Amino acid sequence: MSDRLLASEGTGFTPPGPSSFEPPPFFTVAGWAVDKVVVVIALSTVLIAAFFYLAARRAEAAGANGGLVPGKLQFAGESAYGFVRNGIGLETIGKEGLRFVPFLATLFFFIAVNNLFGIIPPFQLPGTSKIAIPLGLAVIVWVIYNYLGIKRQGLLGYFKNMMFPPGIPIPVYFLLAPIELLSNFIVRPVTLCLRLTLNMFAGHLVLVLFILGGEYLILEYGGIVGVLAGSVAILGSLVMTGFEAFIQLLQAYVFTLLAALYIGGALADEH
Amino acid sequence: MPPETPDDSSGDFRRKGEADAWNALSLILSGMLVWGGIGWLISNWLDNRLPLALGLVLGTGAGTALVWLRYGRQT
Repeated sequence: MSDRLLASEGTGFTPPGPSSFEPPPFFTVAGWAVDKVVVVIALSTVLIAAFFYLAARRAEAAGANGGLVPGKLQFAGESAYGFVRNGIGLETIGKEGLRFVPFLATLFFFIAVNNLFGIIPPFQLPGTSKIAIPLGLAVIVWVIYNYLGIKRQGLLGYFKNMMFPPGIPIPVYFLLAPIELLSNFIVRPVTLCLRLTLNMFAGHLVLVLFILGGEYLILEYGGIVGVLAGSVAILGSLVMTGFEAFIQLLQAYVFTLLAALYIGGALADEH
Repeated sequence: MPPETPDDSSGDFRRKGEADAWNALSLILSGMLVWGGIGWLISNWLDNRLPLALGLVLGTGAGTALVWLRYGRQT
């Protein structure tokens, strides 16, 4: 139906689609195209590193002077790190989780900043909307929790604890063991990756649709109807931007929380 | 180093309930995938839709049973 509607209007409105995630490359270095996504990822890495380096350096300088009052930057850095440390590391893994806080904090801030670039002009494209980024992160998490589980419980013990919960008649294992295997090795990393990617993908599509649709209605469609509807769409895009900010932080939190839960599960399953 | 908090004293796995909830979802999904998938293969082989339906029902049931076995009877 929409095809007919668009065709009947001549030039028509081009709805956003997967092509919205293929920005033209700025330039090419030795066969590697540098586009907006690459810039966003590189910039987010630099920003996070600079923020924590400066926050920690101020803290060190204050410590050397014997100063007990933390500066604003140090306070911000400690609050952010402390949130991951206490809210995710300690709460999900326990005291042993302190070892993993640097990893979890890196994961959280990398995802959060990359997500937030989805609403920060002039970028407005989340680096995590490209499946390669969440996939890479999910693979790292997958390797870590499987490695820890095998290290803690032994190779046989890990598979035994995973696939053969005690107290079930032996024939039933035939039915249940493949499910546990698939759940731990395939469904966990795939859902981890897809949850983040598609949330960012869909969020970006919604924003693009509201903004470009509003622009089209006002400038191209015209008339009272066009201007009114377009204005509503533009206002709606502001609301959706606020909503997206919430989703972007929430998804960074969920990804990190699940990574911590998987690590905690691998460490805790000692029967 | 972040300030010490009272949380440090208790070293248990306090979000276990939350981990179990996510695992339960994953198990039911996996149950459908494994036995639904096997049913789908048999369906293609026999050119009959029944094995797929049976596999999906069996898988969902097995996944749910696994959730109960893992998490339902401990407490």
